[in-house]
Amino acid sequence: MFSSLNPAVHVRRLPGVPQQGKIELNPTIVSVAVASAVCMAIAWVAGVPFIGGGGAAGMCYVGVKLIAAIARRDKQARHANQSRHDKSEPTVANTELPEDIDGLAVQMLSQGRYALLLRPQLARNLSAALRRDAHDTLTDRMALIPDGQLLVGQTEDADQIDSSILPRGRVVTVQRFFLDRYPVTNKLYQKFIDTGGYEQMALWDQQILPGVLDFVDQSGTPGPAGWCDGRFPKGLENHPVVGISWYEAAAYSRWVGKRLPTDVEWEKAGSWPVELAATNRPGRRFPWGNAMDRGRCNIWGSGSEGTVAVEELATGVSVGGIHQLVGNVWEWTSGVFGASGFVSRDYKDNIPLRTIRGGAFDTYFENHVTCQFQSAEDPVARKHNIGFRCAVSVCDLASGNPEETESEERSTVNEEESPQAELTEVKA
Amino acid sequence: MNREGQVTLDSYRLAQYAVQVPCYICSGPNTFDAELCRNCSAPMALTYQAETQKVHPRILSCIGTSGVGKTVFLGMLMDMLSRQPDDMRLLARGAFSITLQQHTVAALARCEFPDKTPNEPERWNWVHCQIHQTRRRKPIELIMPDMAGEALIEEVDHPDTFPVIRSLLTKSAGVMILIDASTLSGGTSDQDYFTMKLLSYLLELVDDPKHGWHQRPVSLVFTKADESESCFENPLEFAQAHTPGMWRHCEERFQKHKYFAAGVAGACANVRRSDGKLGRVPLRIEPRGIVEPFRWLIEQVWS
Repeated sequence: MFSSLNPAVHVRRLPGVPQQGKIELNPTIVSVAVASAVCMAIAWVAGVPFIGGGGAAGMCYVGVKLIAAIARRDKQARHANQSRHDKSEPTVANTELPEDIDGLAVQMLSQGRYALLLRPQLARNLSAALRRDAHDTLTDRMALIPDGQLLVGQTEDADQIDSSILPRGRVVTVQRFFLDRYPVTNKLYQKFIDTGGYEQMALWDQQILPGVLDFVDQSGTPGPAGWCDGRFPKGLENHPVVGISWYEAAAYSRWVGKRLPTDVEWEKAGSWPVELAATNRPGRRFPWGNAMDRGRCNIWGSGSEGTVAVEELATGVSVGGIHQLVGNVWEWTSGVFGASGFVSRDYKDNIPLRTIRGGAFDTYFENHVTCQFQSAEDPVARKHNIGFRCAVSVCDLASGNPEETESEERSTVNEEESPQAELTEVKA
Repeated sequence: MNREGQVTLDSYRLAQYAVQVPCYICSGPNTFDAELCRNCSAPMALTYQAETQKVHPRILSCIGTSGVGKTVFLGMLMDMLSRQPDDMRLLARGAFSITLQQHTVAALARCEFPDKTPNEPERWNWVHCQIHQTRRRKPIELIMPDMAGEALIEEVDHPDTFPVIRSLLTKSAGVMILIDASTLSGGTSDQDYFTMKLLSYLLELVDDPKHGWHQRPVSLVFTKADESESCFENPLEFAQAHTPGMWRHCEERFQKHKYFAAGVAGACANVRRSDGKLGRVPLRIEPRGIVEPFRWLIEQVWS
């Protein structure tokens, strides 16, 4: 998809920069030059020195203006060359912002920030081609999860557990949203680091700002715990990024214009429930069905002792086209563990834990990697087996068709305050 | 049946009772139909298996304070070795040997820790198993008991309180000493002191210059290391920093020892139980470093 987004195609002549080799002259200056020449000619023929002095003064004025115009031309030409150079190499390390909107948009697309471009506030300023590119990238990289209902809060061995401490299963409604098809890779996260993501305080939660300085790699450079000198380990560019706290995952998500999925969103994407009747919403235990198959995911005993590249194990894809929801790495969600009442126990921890889903390459039990299983971790923990993927609500995005913008803008809501996956509780 | 026949049968039974069967653990005398040793309470099935199958298993012990994770460690070790298609495989001998594995794995799969091992030796779980290795022609016969931590403390502080512990540790070919890394990281030194006590106890138990404990292999395993990543990265450095007494003790008195880090739960949380008390539960199971200490011990004992 990104191959169609060759930056050179979108490079246009910057406004205000003249064509090289020409000098733009004001018509007034030309008129003054002609008048001065006429005056000097009359003075020479008629022998009137007064008129000849006026003509000479006019010619001096024109000369000064010409020199200034030549200097301005050279300066603008140098500037134009520099701008073209910047746009032709939109490398990851290039943090200089292009001066025009299209150049900036191309750079953002190359950084994987297409969802941010499709925010209605930004999308209306994009050219139709860029907007289409952003939308195509979105549908290529993310899967649409339709809205619908999901039964949560029930355990598999509900019959064996004391019903007094087991919460009743309840039905929640999930709005339509997009979910990344793959977990965020080291390569993508590298772009976040290279553009100074750890220094952009606006991306980070207010309460963690003092702690951001502590999110460093083995060499003390900002980055995931397992990295060194701000670089991911060699050969792992397509492996999911691990060693990042919940706050780092949330900051990255904001940078790309997305967010972490909620608990129910994650579960719905994996279990893909089908509503057969008002009380019957069977969801799958695993993205591919109800029976465990260790050949479709990377968990303990699957044969791998660490993470695998995100494009591997394609047979474990979910109905919606999402890869590696189960196994390889746990995935941070935005949920607070125990707060939603989805777990049967009364957890009492001083630090509110954040939920993680899906299991990892070292998860031992099969029942810990089901779509329904929920684990948790300290939000500042930077574990070797926890990564993340991002989500974005459909209602937060403009469509690929610019003509629809007007109606969409009216329904746009603030990202942070919007109910991303509004849960409408219904009696089970 | 006539009266003569009755007398003959009784004589036969009396004759069987007259022959004492020595306990495999403590060598104490027992009757032929005893289930548990009347001296040390070890299961007599170990003796009967050794006799009937003509095998003489060696003993590896797993010791540590109460709550350090001995049951979880042994249960997971058994399960991993019996499930993993690795160069080292475990095969249990006798139904009683599977109980520990079964209880531990069932509890962990429910995100609970197994029940505390009772102090009474007759209620301990004993494991008699075979270890198959691809490079060895014959399997290794092993006995590994799951001892209660409180009983261990009692025996170390007051020797001969639990004769079974004394007998087991005297006969053990090697030992895995479990140390709680999470409490050490928290700054408390109890684990350091207790491990030093255990090491001293072992040295006093067998002071034979050739076969004493200073010659036998000791693997020192920091458990619950998932709560302290630095422990996984370098267990030796962790030992020097957090258990200086134990480290010095091992350096000077034990010729074969090595430090390991292990963890079973990926994370734990406090939970209020139905009786109102707070307890700790695992949030997921991610075994790390479980097999390594055992593998090293096997190599040391059977090298």
